Amino acid sequence: MQSFSLSTDHNGLYDITPMAEAELAASGVTAGMLLVSIPHSTAAVTVVSPWDVNGLEDVNDEIHRLVPTRIDFKHQHDTPQDAAGHVKAALIGHSRMFIVNEGKLGLGHSQKVYFWEFDGPRNRTVQVQVIGK
Amino acid sequence: MSAELDSFLMQIRSLSDLLHEATPRIESNARTILSTPEIYGIRHIILTGSGDSYAAALAVAPALRAWTGLPVQPMVSMEASRYVDHGRPPLSGRNRGLLVVSISSSGEAARLVEATHRLRALGAITLAVTASPASRAAQAAEKTLDISIPASVSAPGTRSYVASLLGIYLLSLRIAEVLMCMTMDRAGALRSELAGMSNALHGLSESMEAAARERIDAWGLFHAADVLGSGPSFGSASYTAAKLVEAAGIHASAQDVEEFHHLNYFVDTPESIPTILFAPTRSVAVNRTRELVTTLEQLGRPYLAITDDTRFAPAKNVLVLPQVDEFFSPILQTVPGALLSAFTAVKRKAVHYRGHTGPWRGAVDAALVRNSKIELANQ
Repeated sequence: MQSFSLSTDHNGLYDITPMAEAELAASGVTAGMLLVSIPHSTAAVTVVSPWDVNGLEDVNDEIHRLVPTRIDFKHQHDTPQDAAGHVKAALIGHSRMFIVNEGKLGLGHSQKVYFWEFDGPRNRTVQVQVIGK
Repeated sequence: MSAELDSFLMQIRSLSDLLHEATPRIESNARTILSTPEIYGIRHIILTGSGDSYAAALAVAPALRAWTGLPVQPMVSMEASRYVDHGRPPLSGRNRGLLVVSISSSGEAARLVEATHRLRALGAITLAVTASPASRAAQAAEKTLDISIPASVSAPGTRSYVASLLGIYLLSLRIAEVLMCMTMDRAGALRSELAGMSNALHGLSESMEAAARERIDAWGLFHAADVLGSGPSFGSASYTAAKLVEAAGIHASAQDVEEFHHLNYFVDTPESIPTILFAPTRSVAVNRTRELVTTLEQLGRPYLAITDDTRFAPAKNVLVLPQVDEFFSPILQTVPGALLSAFTAVKRKAVHYRGHTGPWRGAVDAALVRNSKIELANQ
Protein backbone atom coordinates (compact mmCIF):
# COMPACT_ATOMS: atom_id res chain seq x y z
CA MET A 1 0.00 0.00 0.00
CA GLN A 2 1.28 3.44 -0.89
CA SER A 3 0.26 6.70 0.76
CA PHE A 4 0.40 9.95 -1.16
CA SER A 5 0.22 13.43 0.35
CA LEU A 6 -2.13 16.02 -1.07
CA SER A 7 -2.47 19.63 0.05
CA THR A 8 -5.82 21.06 -0.97
CA ASP A 9 -6.25 24.80 -1.33
CA HIS A 10 -10.00 24.84 -1.97
CA ASN A 11 -13.05 22.62 -1.91
CA GLY A 12 -13.52 20.63 -5.08
CA LEU A 13 -12.05 17.90 -7.24
CA TYR A 14 -8.37 17.02 -7.51
CA ASP A 15 -7.16 14.57 -10.18
CA ILE A 16 -5.36 11.74 -8.42
CA THR A 17 -5.25 9.37 -11.40
CA PRO A 18 -1.46 9.82 -11.70
CA MET A 19 -1.05 8.60 -8.10
CA ALA A 20 -3.04 5.46 -8.82
CA GLU A 21 -1.18 4.82 -12.08
CA ALA A 22 2.18 5.37 -10.42
CA GLU A 23 1.44 2.85 -7.71
CA LEU A 24 0.10 0.39 -10.28
CA ALA A 25 3.28 0.69 -12.32
CA ALA A 26 5.45 0.29 -9.23
CA SER A 27 3.55 -2.82 -8.17
CA GLY A 28 4.23 -4.71 -11.40
CA VAL A 29 0.69 -6.14 -11.24
CA THR A 30 -0.85 -6.75 -14.65
CA ALA A 31 -4.14 -8.35 -13.63
CA GLY A 32 -6.11 -7.67 -10.47
CA MET A 33 -7.69 -4.81 -8.61
CA LEU A 34 -6.61 -1.38 -7.47
CA LEU A 35 -8.16 0.26 -4.44
CA VAL A 36 -8.08 4.02 -3.83
CA SER A 37 -8.96 4.88 -0.24
CA ILE A 38 -9.31 8.26 1.44
CA PRO A 39 -8.67 8.06 5.21
CA HIS A 40 -10.60 11.22 6.02
CA SER A 41 -14.19 11.86 7.08
CA THR A 42 -14.65 15.11 5.18
CA ALA A 43 -13.24 14.05 1.81
CA ALA A 44 -14.18 11.38 -0.71
CA VAL A 45 -13.10 9.74 -3.94
CA THR A 46 -15.09 9.62 -7.16
CA VAL A 47 -14.83 9.26 -10.93
CA VAL A 48 -15.67 12.15 -13.26
CA SER A 49 -15.00 13.15 -16.84
CA PRO A 50 -12.00 15.48 -17.01
CA TRP A 51 -12.61 17.04 -20.41
CA ASP A 52 -14.62 20.10 -19.44
CA VAL A 53 -13.59 21.91 -16.27
CA ASN A 54 -17.09 23.35 -16.10
CA GLY A 55 -18.33 19.80 -15.70
CA LEU A 56 -16.10 19.36 -12.69
CA GLU A 57 -17.53 22.53 -11.21
CA ASP A 58 -21.06 21.30 -11.92
CA VAL A 59 -20.37 18.14 -9.95
CA ASN A 60 -18.97 20.12 -7.05
CA ASP A 61 -21.77 22.68 -7.16
CA GLU A 62 -24.44 19.96 -7.06
CA ILE A 63 -23.16 18.33 -3.90
CA HIS A 64 -23.12 21.74 -2.26
CA ARG A 65 -26.68 22.31 -3.44
CA LEU A 66 -27.74 18.96 -2.00
CA VAL A 67 -25.88 19.47 1.29
CA PRO A 68 -25.32 23.17 1.83
CA THR A 69 -23.10 24.41 4.63
CA ARG A 70 -25.53 25.29 7.39
CA ILE A 71 -25.17 26.39 10.98
CA ASP A 72 -27.82 24.05 12.37
CA PHE A 73 -26.12 20.69 11.97
CA LYS A 74 -26.23 18.71 15.20
CA HIS A 75 -22.52 17.97 14.87
CA GLN A 76 -20.93 21.16 16.22
CA HIS A 77 -17.60 19.88 17.42
CA ASP A 78 -15.77 21.55 14.58
CA THR A 79 -17.17 23.92 11.94
CA PRO A 80 -20.32 24.09 9.78
CA GLN A 81 -18.20 23.23 6.73
CA ASP A 82 -16.82 20.22 8.58
CA ALA A 83 -20.30 19.07 9.56
CA ALA A 84 -21.53 19.38 5.97
CA GLY A 85 -18.36 17.65 4.83
CA HIS A 86 -19.14 14.59 6.92
CA VAL A 87 -22.51 14.24 5.20
CA LYS A 88 -21.11 14.77 1.73
CA ALA A 89 -18.27 12.33 2.23
CA ALA A 90 -20.66 9.71 3.59
CA LEU A 91 -22.85 10.09 0.52
CA ILE A 92 -20.01 9.92 -2.00
CA GLY A 93 -17.88 7.27 -0.31
CA HIS A 94 -14.33 6.97 0.87
CA SER A 95 -13.01 4.29 -1.51
CA ARG A 96 -13.22 3.13 -5.11
CA MET A 97 -12.09 -0.17 -6.60
CA PHE A 98 -10.83 -0.40 -10.18
CA ILE A 99 -10.08 -3.34 -12.46
CA VAL A 100 -6.48 -3.80 -13.54
CA ASN A 101 -6.03 -5.51 -16.87
CA GLU A 102 -2.85 -5.82 -18.94
CA GLY A 103 -1.17 -3.51 -16.44
CA LYS A 104 -3.67 -0.74 -17.16
CA LEU A 105 -6.16 0.91 -14.86
CA GLY A 106 -9.70 0.08 -15.93
CA LEU A 107 -10.83 3.61 -16.67
CA GLY A 108 -12.74 4.69 -19.75
CA HIS A 109 -11.67 7.46 -22.10
CA SER A 110 -13.76 10.00 -20.17
CA GLN A 111 -12.91 8.89 -16.68
CA LYS A 112 -10.38 10.13 -14.15
CA VAL A 113 -10.12 9.41 -10.47
CA TYR A 114 -10.72 12.46 -8.30
CA PHE A 115 -10.09 13.26 -4.70
CA TRP A 116 -13.03 15.35 -3.52
CA GLU A 117 -12.29 17.92 -0.84
CA PHE A 118 -15.22 19.10 1.28
CA ASP A 119 -13.36 20.88 4.09
CA GLY A 120 -10.35 22.52 2.53
CA PRO A 121 -7.77 23.75 2.62
CA ARG A 122 -6.29 20.73 4.38
CA ASN A 123 -3.29 18.46 4.25
CA ARG A 124 -4.64 15.10 3.05
CA THR A 125 -3.55 11.54 2.38
CA VAL A 126 -4.52 9.27 -0.50
CA GLN A 127 -3.97 5.53 -0.07
CA VAL A 128 -3.55 3.16 -3.02
CA GLN A 129 -3.43 -0.63 -2.74
CA VAL A 130 -2.90 -2.98 -5.72
CA ILE A 131 -3.98 -6.63 -5.50
CA GLY A 132 -3.26 -9.22 -8.19
CA LYS A 133 -0.53 -10.90 -10.16
CA MET B 1 9.13 39.31 53.23
CA SER B 2 11.27 36.45 52.05
CA ALA B 3 8.29 34.13 52.27
CA GLU B 4 6.29 36.55 50.12
CA LEU B 5 9.06 36.63 47.52
CA ASP B 6 9.29 32.85 47.58
CA SER B 7 5.55 32.54 47.06
CA PHE B 8 5.58 35.03 44.21
CA LEU B 9 8.51 33.30 42.51
CA MET B 10 6.85 29.92 42.99
CA GLN B 11 3.78 31.18 41.13
CA ILE B 12 5.86 32.62 38.31
CA ARG B 13 8.01 29.51 37.95
CA SER B 14 4.93 27.29 37.82
CA LEU B 15 3.49 28.91 34.69
CA SER B 16 5.04 26.38 32.32
CA ASP B 17 3.37 23.45 34.09
CA LEU B 18 0.15 25.43 34.37
CA LEU B 19 -0.02 26.02 30.65
CA HIS B 20 0.78 22.39 29.92
CA GLU B 21 -1.91 21.10 32.27
CA ALA B 22 -4.66 23.64 31.74
CA THR B 23 -4.68 24.24 27.99
CA PRO B 24 -6.28 20.93 26.89
CA ARG B 25 -8.95 21.12 29.59
CA ILE B 26 -9.89 24.73 28.93
CA GLU B 27 -9.83 24.06 25.19
CA SER B 28 -12.30 21.24 25.65
CA ASN B 29 -14.59 23.55 27.64
CA ALA B 30 -14.26 26.39 25.14
CA ARG B 31 -15.10 24.10 22.22
CA THR B 32 -18.67 23.49 23.32
CA ILE B 33 -19.50 26.63 25.28
CA LEU B 34 -21.24 28.37 22.37
CA SER B 35 -23.42 26.63 19.78
CA THR B 36 -22.78 27.22 16.11
CA PRO B 37 -26.00 29.24 15.62
CA GLU B 38 -25.05 31.39 18.62
CA ILE B 39 -21.61 32.07 17.19
CA TYR B 40 -23.09 33.02 13.83
CA GLY B 41 -25.41 35.45 15.58
CA ILE B 42 -22.59 37.42 17.22
CA ARG B 43 -22.20 40.95 15.89
CA HIS B 44 -20.25 42.59 18.70
CA ILE B 45 -18.11 41.30 21.57
CA ILE B 46 -17.42 42.99 24.90
CA LEU B 47 -14.63 41.58 27.06
CA THR B 48 -15.13 42.96 30.53
CA GLY B 49 -13.47 42.70 33.92
CA SER B 50 -11.56 44.65 36.51
CA GLY B 51 -7.93 44.61 37.55
CA ASP B 52 -6.03 41.63 36.14
CA SER B 53 -9.15 40.48 34.34
CA TYR B 54 -9.38 43.76 32.46
CA ALA B 55 -5.66 43.48 31.65
CA ALA B 56 -6.38 40.02 30.22
CA ALA B 57 -9.20 41.49 28.12
CA LEU B 58 -6.84 44.16 26.79
CA ALA B 59 -4.18 41.55 26.03
CA VAL B 60 -6.41 39.25 23.98
CA ALA B 61 -8.81 41.73 22.34
CA PRO B 62 -6.51 42.47 19.35
CA ALA B 63 -6.22 38.75 18.61
CA LEU B 64 -9.96 38.15 18.87
CA ARG B 65 -10.61 41.15 16.64
CA ALA B 66 -8.10 40.02 14.03
CA TRP B 67 -9.13 36.37 14.06
CA THR B 68 -12.88 36.99 13.77
CA GLY B 69 -13.20 40.37 12.07
CA LEU B 70 -15.82 41.26 14.68
CA PRO B 71 -15.91 44.50 16.66
CA VAL B 72 -14.31 43.65 20.01
CA GLN B 73 -14.23 46.04 22.98
CA PRO B 74 -12.25 45.47 26.14
CA MET B 75 -14.24 47.29 28.80
CA VAL B 76 -13.87 47.97 32.51
CA SER B 77 -16.70 46.47 34.50
CA MET B 78 -18.13 49.83 35.60
CA GLU B 79 -18.67 50.87 32.00
CA ALA B 80 -20.14 47.47 31.15
CA SER B 81 -22.46 47.52 34.15
CA ARG B 82 -23.74 51.09 34.01
CA TYR B 83 -23.14 52.52 30.54
CA VAL B 84 -23.97 49.80 28.02
CA ASP B 85 -27.63 49.28 28.90
CA HIS B 86 -28.16 52.90 29.97
CA GLY B 87 -31.10 54.23 27.95
CA ARG B 88 -31.12 51.15 25.74
CA PRO B 89 -34.21 48.92 25.60
CA PRO B 90 -33.99 45.12 25.29
CA LEU B 91 -35.36 45.43 21.74
CA SER B 92 -37.18 42.12 21.70
CA GLY B 93 -34.12 39.94 21.49
CA ARG B 94 -32.24 42.03 18.97
CA ASN B 95 -29.39 42.47 21.44
CA ARG B 96 -28.69 38.75 21.19
CA GLY B 97 -25.95 39.71 18.74
CA LEU B 98 -23.93 41.07 21.65
CA LEU B 99 -21.62 38.58 23.34
CA VAL B 100 -20.47 39.72 26.77
CA VAL B 101 -17.49 37.83 28.15
CA SER B 102 -17.35 38.49 31.90
CA ILE B 103 -13.89 37.73 33.23
CA SER B 104 -13.24 37.17 36.93
CA SER B 105 -11.16 34.44 38.48
CA SER B 106 -13.10 34.59 41.74
CA GLY B 107 -16.37 35.42 40.02
CA GLU B 108 -17.27 37.62 42.98
CA ALA B 109 -16.32 41.14 41.85
CA ALA B 110 -19.56 43.02 42.48
CA ARG B 111 -19.39 45.34 39.48
CA LEU B 112 -18.78 42.43 37.13
CA VAL B 113 -21.62 40.44 38.65
CA GLU B 114 -23.81 43.49 38.15
CA ALA B 115 -22.68 43.94 34.53
CA THR B 116 -23.42 40.30 33.80
CA HIS B 117 -26.92 40.51 35.29
CA ARG B 118 -27.76 43.72 33.49
CA LEU B 119 -26.42 42.76 30.08
CA ARG B 120 -28.13 39.40 30.25
CA ALA B 121 -31.34 41.27 30.96
CA LEU B 122 -30.57 43.45 27.95
CA GLY B 123 -30.64 40.31 25.82
CA ALA B 124 -26.92 39.68 25.31
CA ILE B 125 -25.31 36.26 25.42
CA THR B 126 -23.42 36.41 28.71
CA LEU B 127 -20.45 34.10 29.21
CA ALA B 128 -18.50 34.07 32.47
CA VAL B 129 -14.81 33.15 32.29
CA THR B 130 -14.10 32.17 35.86
CA ALA B 131 -12.30 29.70 38.08
CA SER B 132 -15.35 29.59 40.34
CA PRO B 133 -18.34 27.98 38.60
CA ALA B 134 -20.47 28.45 41.72
CA SER B 135 -19.68 32.16 41.99
CA ARG B 136 -22.15 35.01 41.60
CA ALA B 137 -20.76 35.93 38.18
CA ALA B 138 -21.16 32.37 36.96
CA GLN B 139 -24.69 32.24 38.32
CA ALA B 140 -25.51 35.56 36.67
CA ALA B 141 -24.22 34.46 33.28
CA GLU B 142 -26.01 32.25 30.81
CA LYS B 143 -22.84 30.23 30.23
CA THR B 144 -19.65 29.56 32.17
CA LEU B 145 -16.20 28.76 30.85
CA ASP B 146 -14.46 27.05 33.73
CA ILE B 147 -10.80 28.10 33.95
CA SER B 148 -10.16 26.66 37.40
CA ILE B 149 -6.57 25.64 38.02
CA PRO B 150 -4.77 23.82 40.82
CA ALA B 151 -4.41 25.97 43.92
CA SER B 152 -1.08 27.61 44.56
CA VAL B 153 0.57 29.63 47.29
CA SER B 154 -0.82 33.10 47.91
CA ALA B 155 0.81 35.89 45.89
CA PRO B 156 -0.32 38.71 43.61
CA GLY B 157 -2.38 36.93 40.96
CA THR B 158 -0.20 35.49 38.24
CA ARG B 159 -1.46 31.97 37.61
CA SER B 160 -5.05 33.21 37.63
CA TYR B 161 -4.11 35.90 35.08
CA VAL B 162 -2.53 33.36 32.75
CA ALA B 163 -5.56 31.08 33.14
CA SER B 164 -7.78 34.01 32.14
CA LEU B 165 -5.58 34.65 29.11
CA LEU B 166 -5.83 31.00 28.14
CA GLY B 167 -9.60 31.01 28.49
CA ILE B 168 -10.07 34.06 26.28
CA TYR B 169 -7.52 32.94 23.67
CA LEU B 170 -9.16 29.54 23.36
CA LEU B 171 -12.65 31.03 23.23
CA SER B 172 -11.44 33.45 20.55
CA LEU B 173 -9.95 30.67 18.46
CA ARG B 174 -13.15 28.70 18.73
CA ILE B 175 -15.29 31.60 17.54
CA ALA B 176 -12.93 32.29 14.63
CA GLU B 177 -12.84 28.64 13.65
CA VAL B 178 -16.60 28.15 13.67
CA LEU B 179 -17.08 31.38 11.72
CA MET B 180 -14.60 29.85 9.26
CA CYS B 181 -12.45 32.96 9.47
CA MET B 182 -9.62 30.49 9.77
CA THR B 183 -9.37 26.86 8.75
CA MET B 184 -9.55 24.09 11.30
CA ASP B 185 -5.92 23.31 10.53
CA ARG B 186 -4.92 26.90 11.24
CA ALA B 187 -6.94 27.00 14.44
CA GLY B 188 -5.38 23.70 15.47
CA ALA B 189 -1.91 25.04 14.73
CA LEU B 190 -2.56 28.14 16.83
CA ARG B 191 -3.85 26.00 19.69
CA SER B 192 -0.68 23.92 19.46
CA GLU B 193 1.41 27.08 19.42
CA LEU B 194 -0.39 28.30 22.52
CA ALA B 195 0.08 25.02 24.37
CA GLY B 196 3.67 24.88 23.14
CA MET B 197 4.43 28.11 24.95
CA SER B 198 4.75 25.88 27.97
CA ASN B 199 8.18 25.01 26.55
CA ALA B 200 9.13 28.67 26.16
CA LEU B 201 8.06 29.30 29.75
CA HIS B 202 10.06 26.38 31.09
CA GLY B 203 12.99 27.83 33.01
CA LEU B 204 12.23 31.33 31.72
CA SER B 205 11.76 32.83 35.17
CA GLU B 206 14.95 31.30 36.51
CA SER B 207 16.88 32.62 33.49
CA MET B 208 15.65 36.20 34.02
CA GLU B 209 15.57 36.56 37.79
CA ALA B 210 19.11 37.78 38.30
CA ALA B 211 18.89 40.36 35.53
CA ALA B 212 15.49 41.60 36.69
CA ARG B 213 16.70 41.97 40.25
CA GLU B 214 19.85 43.74 39.13
CA ARG B 215 17.81 46.26 37.14
CA ILE B 216 15.48 46.98 40.07
CA ASP B 217 18.44 47.40 42.41
CA ALA B 218 20.05 49.81 39.96
CA TRP B 219 16.92 51.96 39.94
CA GLY B 220 17.05 52.49 43.69
CA LEU B 221 13.96 53.44 45.67
CA PHE B 222 11.47 54.75 43.18
CA HIS B 223 7.89 55.73 44.01
CA ALA B 224 6.32 55.77 40.57
CA ALA B 225 6.77 53.91 37.30
CA ASP B 226 5.34 53.91 33.80
CA VAL B 227 4.73 50.62 32.05
CA LEU B 228 4.33 50.92 28.29
CA GLY B 229 3.15 48.75 25.45
CA SER B 230 0.77 48.72 22.50
CA GLY B 231 -1.81 46.22 21.29
CA PRO B 232 -1.49 42.93 23.17
CA SER B 233 1.49 44.38 25.02
CA PHE B 234 -0.73 47.09 26.47
CA GLY B 235 -2.46 44.27 28.29
CA SER B 236 0.92 43.18 29.63
CA ALA B 237 1.72 46.75 30.61
CA SER B 238 -1.58 46.91 32.51
CA TYR B 239 -0.90 43.60 34.22
CA THR B 240 2.61 44.68 35.21
CA ALA B 241 1.44 48.04 36.53
CA ALA B 242 -1.17 46.19 38.59
CA LYS B 243 1.49 43.89 40.09
CA LEU B 244 3.74 46.83 40.92
CA VAL B 245 0.88 48.45 42.80
CA GLU B 246 -0.21 45.26 44.57
CA ALA B 247 3.20 43.88 45.44
CA ALA B 248 5.32 47.00 45.93
CA GLY B 249 2.77 49.71 46.66
CA ILE B 250 4.19 52.23 44.21
CA HIS B 251 2.14 54.40 41.88
CA ALA B 252 2.47 52.54 38.59
CA SER B 253 0.47 53.27 35.49
CA ALA B 254 0.12 51.54 32.14
CA GLN B 255 0.23 53.61 29.00
CA ASP B 256 0.07 52.96 25.28
CA VAL B 257 3.31 53.71 23.41
CA GLU B 258 1.72 56.40 21.26
CA GLU B 259 -0.17 57.98 24.14
CA PHE B 260 3.06 58.21 26.13
CA HIS B 261 4.36 60.74 23.62
CA HIS B 262 1.22 62.83 24.14
CA LEU B 263 1.02 62.61 27.92
CA ASN B 264 3.43 60.86 30.27
CA TYR B 265 6.36 62.26 28.31
CA PHE B 266 5.79 65.57 30.07
CA VAL B 267 5.98 64.25 33.63
CA ASP B 268 8.53 66.18 35.63
CA THR B 269 11.75 64.70 37.06
CA PRO B 270 11.93 61.98 34.40
CA GLU B 271 15.11 60.59 35.93
CA SER B 272 13.06 59.46 38.93
CA ILE B 273 10.47 57.48 36.99
CA PRO B 274 11.62 54.08 35.78
CA THR B 275 9.89 53.01 32.61
CA ILE B 276 9.23 49.44 31.59
CA LEU B 277 8.63 48.99 27.90
CA PHE B 278 7.17 45.87 26.28
CA ALA B 279 8.65 45.69 22.81
CA PRO B 280 8.16 42.44 20.88
CA THR B 281 9.81 42.88 17.49
CA ARG B 282 7.04 41.05 15.63
CA SER B 283 4.61 43.71 16.84
CA VAL B 284 2.96 45.91 14.25
CA ALA B 285 3.82 48.79 16.59
CA VAL B 286 7.53 47.98 16.71
CA ASN B 287 8.77 50.96 14.69
CA ARG B 288 6.99 53.44 16.95
CA THR B 289 8.33 51.53 19.95
CA ARG B 290 11.86 51.90 18.60
CA GLU B 291 11.31 55.65 18.37
CA LEU B 292 10.26 55.56 22.01
CA VAL B 293 13.66 54.21 23.05
CA THR B 294 15.29 57.33 21.61
CA THR B 295 12.73 59.47 23.41
CA LEU B 296 13.40 57.76 26.74
CA GLU B 297 17.13 58.24 26.25
CA GLN B 298 16.63 61.95 25.56
CA LEU B 299 14.45 62.30 28.65
CA GLY B 300 17.04 60.59 30.79
CA ARG B 301 14.47 58.16 32.09
CA PRO B 302 15.78 54.91 33.55
CA TYR B 303 14.15 52.22 31.40
CA LEU B 304 14.04 48.57 30.59
CA ALA B 305 12.88 47.16 27.26
CA ILE B 306 11.36 43.69 27.44
CA THR B 307 11.91 42.46 23.95
CA ASP B 308 13.05 39.52 21.82
CA ASP B 309 15.94 41.43 20.23
CA THR B 310 19.16 41.93 22.21
CA ARG B 311 19.95 44.96 20.01
CA PHE B 312 16.68 46.73 20.71
CA ALA B 313 18.40 48.98 23.26
CA PRO B 314 21.76 49.03 25.10
CA ALA B 315 22.38 45.70 26.82
CA LYS B 316 21.86 47.06 30.34
CA ASN B 317 18.38 48.22 29.28
CA VAL B 318 17.15 44.95 27.81
CA LEU B 319 15.49 41.81 29.13
CA VAL B 320 15.19 39.23 26.40
CA LEU B 321 12.22 36.91 25.83
CA PRO B 322 11.86 34.18 23.19
CA GLN B 323 10.31 35.47 19.98
CA VAL B 324 6.66 34.49 19.53
CA ASP B 325 3.64 35.63 17.55
CA GLU B 326 2.65 39.10 18.78
CA PHE B 327 -0.82 37.88 19.70
CA PHE B 328 0.62 35.36 22.15
CA SER B 329 3.33 37.62 23.54
CA PRO B 330 1.34 38.49 26.71
CA ILE B 331 1.77 34.92 27.96
CA LEU B 332 5.57 35.23 28.10
CA GLN B 333 5.52 38.90 29.11
CA THR B 334 3.79 37.87 32.32
CA VAL B 335 7.09 36.50 33.62
CA PRO B 336 9.25 39.65 33.54
CA GLY B 337 6.27 41.78 34.58
CA ALA B 338 5.75 39.72 37.69
CA LEU B 339 9.48 39.38 38.44
CA LEU B 340 10.09 43.12 38.29
CA SER B 341 7.15 43.63 40.66
CA ALA B 342 8.36 40.95 43.06
CA PHE B 343 11.86 42.43 43.26
CA THR B 344 10.54 45.98 43.57
CA ALA B 345 8.58 44.86 46.61
CA VAL B 346 11.73 43.34 48.09
CA LYS B 347 13.75 46.46 47.37
CA ARG B 348 11.16 48.64 49.08
CA LYS B 349 10.62 46.17 51.90
CA ALA B 350 6.97 46.36 50.96
CA VAL B 351 4.40 43.88 52.18
CA HIS B 352 2.10 42.68 49.43
CA TYR B 353 -1.21 44.54 49.48
CA ARG B 354 0.17 46.47 52.50
CA GLY B 355 -0.81 43.45 54.53
CA HIS B 356 -4.47 44.48 54.33
CA THR B 357 -3.84 46.40 57.53
CA GLY B 358 -3.94 50.01 58.72
CA PRO B 359 -5.46 52.29 56.09
CA TRP B 360 -5.75 49.26 53.80
CA ARG B 361 -7.74 47.08 56.21
CA GLY B 362 -10.88 47.62 54.13
CA ALA B 363 -9.50 45.26 51.48
CA VAL B 364 -9.53 42.20 53.74
CA ASP B 365 -11.19 39.32 51.87
CA ALA B 366 -11.51 41.62 48.86
CA ALA B 367 -14.40 43.29 50.65
CA LEU B 368 -13.97 46.56 48.76
CA VAL B 369 -14.69 44.96 45.41
CA ARG B 370 -17.02 42.18 46.53
CA ASN B 371 -19.33 44.05 48.86
CA SER B 372 -20.17 47.05 46.71
CA LYS B 373 -23.93 47.40 46.32
CA ILE B 374 -25.15 45.76 43.16
CA GLU B 375 -27.59 47.97 41.28
CA LEU B 376 -29.85 46.27 38.81
CA ALA B 377 -31.69 48.41 36.32
CA ASN B 378 -35.17 47.39 37.46
CA GLN B 379 -34.53 47.82 41.19
